[in-house]
Amino acid sequence: MEEANRDIKEAYKIECINVSKSYNYGEKTEVKVLDKVNIKAKENEFVVVLGPGQSGKTTLFRLIAGFERPTAGEVYVNDKKVASPNPKIGFVFQKYMLFPWKTVIGNIEMGPKLMGISKKKRREIANYYIKLVGLEGFENYYPNQLSGGMKQRVGIARSYANNADILLLDEPFGQLDAQTRMFMEKEIMRMWNQEKKTVCFVTNNVDEAVFLADRIICLEGKLPGRVNKIYNVDIPRPREFTDIPFIKLREEIKNNMELIL
Amino acid sequence: MNGREQVKVKNLFWISFLSILILILVWQFIVSSGIVPSTMLDSPLSVIRLFFDKLTNVNPDGATLGAHVLASLQAILLGYLLALLIGIPLGLLMGWYAVIDGLVRPIFELVRPIPPVAWIPLAIFWFGIGMTGKVYIIFIGGLVPAVINAYTGVLMSNPVLIQMAKTYGASKWQIFKTICIPSALPMIFGALQVALAICWTCLVAAELLASDVGLGYLITMGRRLLLPKLVILGMLMLGVTGFIIGYIVDKIERHLVSGLRR
Amino acid sequence: MDKMNSKALKPYLSVLDIFQNKNVLSIISMIIFLLLWDFIVVRGIAGSYLPRPIEVFDRFLYILKNPLAGKTLVGHLLISLKRVFIAFIIAVIFGIPIGVLMGFNQYARAIMKPVFDLFKPMPPIAWISLAILWFGIGETSKVFIIFIGSFVPIVVNSYNGIRLVEPELYDAIRILGADYWQEHLEVTFPGSFPAIFAGMQISLSIGWTCVLAAELVGAREGIGFIIVMGMNVGNVAQIIVGMLVIAAVAFLLSVGLNYLERKVCPWKKQIET
Ligand SMILES: Nc1ncnc2c1ncn2[C@@H]1O[C@H](COP(=O)(O)OP(=O)(O)OP(=O)(O)O)[C@@H](O)[C@H]1O
Ligand SMILES: [Mg+2]
Repeated sequence: MEEANRDIKEAYKIECINVSKSYNYGEKTEVKVLDKVNIKAKENEFVVVLGPGQSGKTTLFRLIAGFERPTAGEVYVNDKKVASPNPKIGFVFQKYMLFPWKTVIGNIEMGPKLMGISKKKRREIANYYIKLVGLEGFENYYPNQLSGGMKQRVGIARSYANNADILLLDEPFGQLDAQTRMFMEKEIMRMWNQEKKTVCFVTNNVDEAVFLADRIICLEGKLPGRVNKIYNVDIPRPREFTDIPFIKLREEIKNNMELIL
Repeated sequence: MNGREQVKVKNLFWISFLSILILILVWQFIVSSGIVPSTMLDSPLSVIRLFFDKLTNVNPDGATLGAHVLASLQAILLGYLLALLIGIPLGLLMGWYAVIDGLVRPIFELVRPIPPVAWIPLAIFWFGIGMTGKVYIIFIGGLVPAVINAYTGVLMSNPVLIQMAKTYGASKWQIFKTICIPSALPMIFGALQVALAICWTCLVAAELLASDVGLGYLITMGRRLLLPKLVILGMLMLGVTGFIIGYIVDKIERHLVSGLRR
Repeated sequence: MDKMNSKALKPYLSVLDIFQNKNVLSIISMIIFLLLWDFIVVRGIAGSYLPRPIEVFDRFLYILKNPLAGKTLVGHLLISLKRVFIAFIIAVIFGIPIGVLMGFNQYARAIMKPVFDLFKPMPPIAWISLAILWFGIGETSKVFIIFIGSFVPIVVNSYNGIRLVEPELYDAIRILGADYWQEHLEVTFPGSFPAIFAGMQISLSIGWTCVLAAELVGAREGIGFIIVMGMNVGNVAQIIVGMLVIAAVAFLLSVGLNYLERKVCPWKKQIET
């Protein structure tokens, strides 16, 4: 049944079809976190999932990454049904999740190391991505010596170094101050332009969404999370927060969000 | 946690229950079948019988169970409270007044690594066998964590607040009283459990070596009289009493901490 | 949070602090302490209960050079250390696997945790009498007591170390393509190591107290024996020498282990301010 619904004509990197997810508390109470969510992402597309806190954004990403299975519906990545964590996906965690016992370079070369790539080769790879994310000079720092922005850079480099072609970023800048955040948004654009990947990016910040996205998927404001509206953003890059179309779209989304909430 | 796991939790509870039950049954079996001689171990049943007997019987060790428990409680209460009453103010003052710190700390650092147990012979020598010696050992044991936590608590008080108080012209004593002591309170409450645990160990050690009454003494007598059930009864009573005191102190600590938040 | 920790740690590094900025006060303090002690003894205030500091020092030199019950001070010290290390090694060999098993397997946990909870409020020293009934007064009963004392913290810390590894770190390593063994090699092991190491630290210091207690109850050699002997012949100076040696060993042990911890868990070091 579901199989038939799939849009075969176009190749998608990520496809979520009528995905629902519930959690059980105790024997009776069941909380529905996601309800019939449909999301598609094409190759090298920058998709932003926009939703307020506690709307199931992290849960959706965990389903795509294969950490958990949906209660109903299907998730396809690279046209294959997701059954287990897939190294083709890079996951940047909301709470960083760097390995505290590894230095910056140790974290970044972890993917190649697991694949059994030689020490010399993986140092090379790691150094290349350290440069890409702008962490030169911090190679031998431990995560607890880094600021939030730097930790997320390590997370991004770790995914890049693992040769992932899909990047899931779960509110990567949620814990940063406004200035660092703006700077990091520009940085992530720079990295993405330098090395294109399919990116899914969670945020609860409308400005951030409009600045980054090819497409914005708005989730509803309360559980269960549902797709409320999808915006295609065709403002040319590089975007400025003061562009007229930028402001117009932002107002439109903001008005819509108020309705949701 | 889904429904199936919920059921599992119930299973796990029964497994835990069975585990203890089997432990007791095996214990009973190896004794009553004679695998282990009764000079080494007595059965759980005989321990229970002894428990009820000792409630009223002063033989063979000279006091009823209640008297032993009471003696132990008295010693630990005295030693523990003394340690808190002296240790906390001392730690606070050391944390705030550099001169006191400089003078007292070297001696404190010298005394600190001596395990309280090592004081026992000296205590016997000084105070003889009895209450004073026990209380002294317990006091020494509880003093160290009380001082350290109070001291650390003062060091952790917010320098911004202190700076602010200074610009308002508060005296050193005023700042100490109104800023440092309150901000040290959480650390001090944290010391309550730590100090208690150490005091409890010290009590046992002191009573084993330097006492003529108390649960530790009961255990020693059991060994001397080759009565394992007396030893086991003493150990169990120690465990139960220790658990109850720990529980009470925990409740007090929670009460105090929640009072802080308000 | 990090800041708070580094501050909380400060008093434990205190010896260094003293040397840095309170030199003068410390020296004054020690001199006053020794003078006061000497004064009390010389004036006879303490009766025969306390020797003069110099007598303690003399006694220390004496038993350092002359054997006491067949061994010099160092010999007795080595005997005690040997007992602790044997028991410690046994505790590590059994404790870590049991703790790890409890951390991983909920059935193992359900079976063993209540037994541990039952024994936890009972101080290890309370086992001395039972140990003597079981094994006599010899070497076995001492090792047994020390084992009981050091076993529990190792098990509890291994168990908690495994259990408290951040579960999302497993997701992080899986999405990088780790297989089952790599998961444990790269996350479980380093993630639980600091807690296990801390458990070993605690267990060594408890072991050191336990050996003392066991030797006080009955021994013919060891550092506790020196103290007991001092007590039996009424030589207080010897008791105090024993106490100071024990303190010195405890101190060196904790300094050494802290140093080792910084070497083996370099990521735990804080940014010094
Ligand atoms: N493993 C789980 N077990 C039970 N409930 C869960 C689980 N994961 C998520 N939930 C529930 O799902 C809801 C949504 O969680 P989720 O983390 O996906 O939201 P979010 O949009 O990412 O929130 P935030 O903005 O805070 O990151 C939460 O209220 C949480 O209680
Ligand atoms: Mg989230």
